[in-house]
Amino acid sequence: MPRYAMVIDLQRCVGCSACSISCRSENNVPDGIYWSNKITETSGTFPNVRYHYIPTLCNHCENAPCVRGCPTGAMHKLENGITMHNPKKCIGCKYCEFNCPYGVIYFNWTYPHKSWKNNEKVLEGTASPKEEVAKVGGKTIPYYNPEREDTLAGIRPKGVVEKCTFCDHLVKRGKLPRCVDACPADARIFGDMNDPNSKVRQLLGKFRPFRLREQLGTDPHVYYIRDFNPANYQPSKGGF
Amino acid sequence: MTTSKDFMMKKVNSNHLNGGKMKKKKSISLISDFLKNKGLSRRSFMKATVATGAAVSVGGGMLPQMKALAAASASSGKDQGTWLPATCQGCTSWCSMQVYVINGRAVKVRGNPHSKVNLGASCPRAHLALQQVYDPDRIKTPMKRTNPKKGRNEDPKFVSITWDEALNTIADKIMELRNDGETYKYMLMRGRYSYMRDILYDRMTKIIGSPNNISHSSLCAEAEKFGPYYTEGYWGYRQYDVTNARYILLWGADPLAANRQVSYYSKVWGEAIDRATIAIVEPRLSATAAKADEWLPAKPGTDGALAVAIAHVLLTEGLWYKPFVGDFIDGQNLFVKDQQVDETLFEEKYTYGLVKWWNLELNDKTPEWAAEIIGLPVDQIRRVATEYGKAAPHAISWLGGGPCMQVRGGFAAMAVHALNGLVGAVDNVGGTLTANKEYTSKFPKPDDFMDEIAKKGKKHGKIDHRGRLHFPCISSGKPGGGVITNNAAEGILNEDPNEIKVAIAYMNNFSFSAPQPERWERALSKIPFLTHITTNASEFSWFADILLPDTHHMFEKWGYVKSHGNGHRHVTLMQPIIENVWDYKTDETEIPWLIAEKLAEKGFDNLLRHYKTYIDPETGKEPANEKEFALYSLKYATQQLWDPAQYKGGDKFNGWKALAEKGVWNSAPYPFKKRWGSMKTKTKQFEFYSETLKEALGKHAEKHTTTIDEVMKATNYLARGEMAFVPHYEEPYIMGDEKEYPFVHVDHKSRLNREGRSANCSWYYDFKDIDPGDEAWDDVAKINPLDAKKINIKNGDTIKLSSPTGSLVCTAKLWEGVRPGTVAKCYGQGHWVYGRLASKKFGKVPRGGSSNDIIPAQYEALSGASAYYAVTRIKIEKV
Repeated sequence: MPRYAMVIDLQRCVGCSACSISCRSENNVPDGIYWSNKITETSGTFPNVRYHYIPTLCNHCENAPCVRGCPTGAMHKLENGITMHNPKKCIGCKYCEFNCPYGVIYFNWTYPHKSWKNNEKVLEGTASPKEEVAKVGGKTIPYYNPEREDTLAGIRPKGVVEKCTFCDHLVKRGKLPRCVDACPADARIFGDMNDPNSKVRQLLGKFRPFRLREQLGTDPHVYYIRDFNPANYQPSKGGF
Repeated sequence: MTTSKDFMMKKVNSNHLNGGKMKKKKSISLISDFLKNKGLSRRSFMKATVATGAAVSVGGGMLPQMKALAAASASSGKDQGTWLPATCQGCTSWCSMQVYVINGRAVKVRGNPHSKVNLGASCPRAHLALQQVYDPDRIKTPMKRTNPKKGRNEDPKFVSITWDEALNTIADKIMELRNDGETYKYMLMRGRYSYMRDILYDRMTKIIGSPNNISHSSLCAEAEKFGPYYTEGYWGYRQYDVTNARYILLWGADPLAANRQVSYYSKVWGEAIDRATIAIVEPRLSATAAKADEWLPAKPGTDGALAVAIAHVLLTEGLWYKPFVGDFIDGQNLFVKDQQVDETLFEEKYTYGLVKWWNLELNDKTPEWAAEIIGLPVDQIRRVATEYGKAAPHAISWLGGGPCMQVRGGFAAMAVHALNGLVGAVDNVGGTLTANKEYTSKFPKPDDFMDEIAKKGKKHGKIDHRGRLHFPCISSGKPGGGVITNNAAEGILNEDPNEIKVAIAYMNNFSFSAPQPERWERALSKIPFLTHITTNASEFSWFADILLPDTHHMFEKWGYVKSHGNGHRHVTLMQPIIENVWDYKTDETEIPWLIAEKLAEKGFDNLLRHYKTYIDPETGKEPANEKEFALYSLKYATQQLWDPAQYKGGDKFNGWKALAEKGVWNSAPYPFKKRWGSMKTKTKQFEFYSETLKEALGKHAEKHTTTIDEVMKATNYLARGEMAFVPHYEEPYIMGDEKEYPFVHVDHKSRLNREGRSANCSWYYDFKDIDPGDEAWDDVAKINPLDAKKINIKNGDTIKLSSPTGSLVCTAKLWEGVRPGTVAKCYGQGHWVYGRLASKKFGKVPRGGSSNDIIPAQYEALSGASAYYAVTRIKIEKV
């Protein structure tokens, strides 16, 4: 049985969020919910200032606090290491969201994709969002991806949580998670931690990786290598 | 494992700018929070987790809505769709794409792996095309205006009509001009185009008989082409061999965010970083600056000063690339500060006029001289110059729009590009390259179909005034050869040289995308009959009499574009790959055909007869309807790419079907150094003293029986005499009094801008914060905290930015990534029409502020380019 993990090469990452936007269309994720996300920071003062960017997503932790805290077993681990959620069992208590130290679990406070239910048009010769969806034929949203339904509700209803599944529906079919495929910079490398020859294992042997809040003991399976802004600078010993 | 990382992250300043009230989504803490132990040990954290779980009772949460789940369909576990070839025109990178189509519906997009230009990569903006194509606010049928009054505050009261009625009305108006011998009062305005453009833009305008086909090109980057043209004879965008470069010096270019080849450069930047030192000149900390070694936040408008100072260092330090430039005959470097050099002592190889340039401009342009002008330390200028020179010839000087889309940007463009000449990076490995050869064909010539009325009409002067004394527009060396788009508004308003009675425009939005758009609002109101072909009812449509619903380039039309990068050129096809949801027709092919049919019915069949000569190369059949015409004309134009009998080079296909399936043709790899000694300049060399420009300016002066000095004066340049022929620095021409308007405005583009057209996509706002310094669901002006303090502006304040020509309202964002004294604001928002999300109140109130409302209508007149940068000062007031 494989144990899936992801390596994110921050030097290759250009901070464009194609991962996060492509995730929206793959997983029919509503606005305001970010299965794939980022942390940004501008540090320093002008003119010595830098912009930093770290892509984030569910870490598919080995010791997943979201799973341990879930009272119904809705949040659970698959044998391949993916932290999976079953909305049918979810009671919307949000313990998982509170327990997750990474802020990558989201609760559906409202009906998802509500704006597409709107019945008004801006001009006589345009469509209302509802009419557009009906004509195009997507479910709730016109660019709806039905393949998501293979392993999870295509769109998660109001009152349950949702989060990244490493695109288990694609992985099952031998395809890469969407964010990995869509990354224009090839900054995401996906693979099997149990296979010593996998690309992820090779990279983890080559670079000293770090993980987010690894001291908490969650054993995250998203690893980061190298640096987002590897700048050279004039050598100096500083001084007074 | 945590210790060294903790130590590393301590350097990160804790001034987190996403904090505070502007953050609308789940607040995420500092990067350092994620890497530091904040007191919790592993044991205590895991204990806390479990405890929380146990302490809260099970029924306390919200009740889930399970109905939708029950409806989940049976999963097939199989691929339900197909990846079909497409092209993205979200910016002018023109990447080849693939779209995942399920039952005629587009679901996702990715880069086309068959392209050797974008190599399967796709930047983030391409994904927004899904929200564009299924935008409910797209117009779905032709419409006509029922309110005869035109103006920004006049609701056009559009009502739906049939295609037949729309086309008949348009044809009648054109026939009126034909019958009255006033065909020159017809105008065609072009916005985003494919290379099918000539069907509508050129052939139809000519055969009707008008000189007035006006493209948007000079709103884009014509001044950028000025630099390479008047040094190396290349009027076009360059490609940069970044993976072989040792130094990459960018000037107002942000290739990881905007234009050109964003996907390609995103793909290889991680490798470029390993090999090259990357420095970027830009007053704003851009996406690319975040991935550079050195940021040079020069004062806006001073790029030319930095460029000539770098050139000065390269020469005085002997760092020019001798195999390209040549050397002093006796090998001794006579380039000494303030000293003139005897031209005969230097033997040039593939360049021309180096010593002239030194004597006229460079000899006293030291880093010390430049430092004060550009506001950067002397040692930084010297260091960058030296390192750049030491990397020769694999040292790129990358000219973006920033330094040259300015009133006096022409010579800055030359100065920046000339650095490539000094270090031998031109046409070289790890340097700056032109476009590879491609083999598409032009459409049949219109001449035989132009009758006397047409020929007479075409002789009239153009509405944009190109070629007049103060608007030389000397593109490709030809006076009046280029367009001066934004000035067409003046032509229309002043009926100079004549009134415009009938106009057709497509995929343009000059009353939003051009500086000082209010002029366009008045100009368009004045045109008695205006047709707009568009996807969304835009700020331009608001003044139209007829709206025609256009197809979306990525999914719904036949067409092709060509672009270059990664040492290749590709020709990538647009194809109808999804089911049209509504009654759209294609701007450049189907609509002109349908108009031609109507004109023929009304007794003028020249245009239709002309279009019927676009025969299908496979069957020899002439087109019988608009659909056949669209397809045949594409097959016609690309025949040499797919027809093995006509094979000329690059990828080889065994027929049309094979090309259509792949969706892209790739050229042969770039032939390095082939242009050394055979450049298309007057001297065939890389010109530091531009004989080519001298000739072009001379021709223009002669046309107006005046001197080149007078041309310089009329075009707002300071150069006189020989200075007009060498790259040099000129003080920027910035409007607004410094006392009243204390800040210089810095305009920039977004990673998610699809030109001006993504503002009705929710993903645009939900991810707007991927532009460094910007915020999701907001439109911010980025102000340095030092400046903000002085004028008592706080983060999140609603503010009004005003220039001498207009104002906009947006939100204040205090950010360290902008140079004090400047305010950076992204272009793209501020629509007052376009859609329910783009505007705050459709037809009335804008969402955010459009930069063009504060940018004056000024020009780099030698190229005709509109000035967007270093062109105005602004003031900030709290609203």
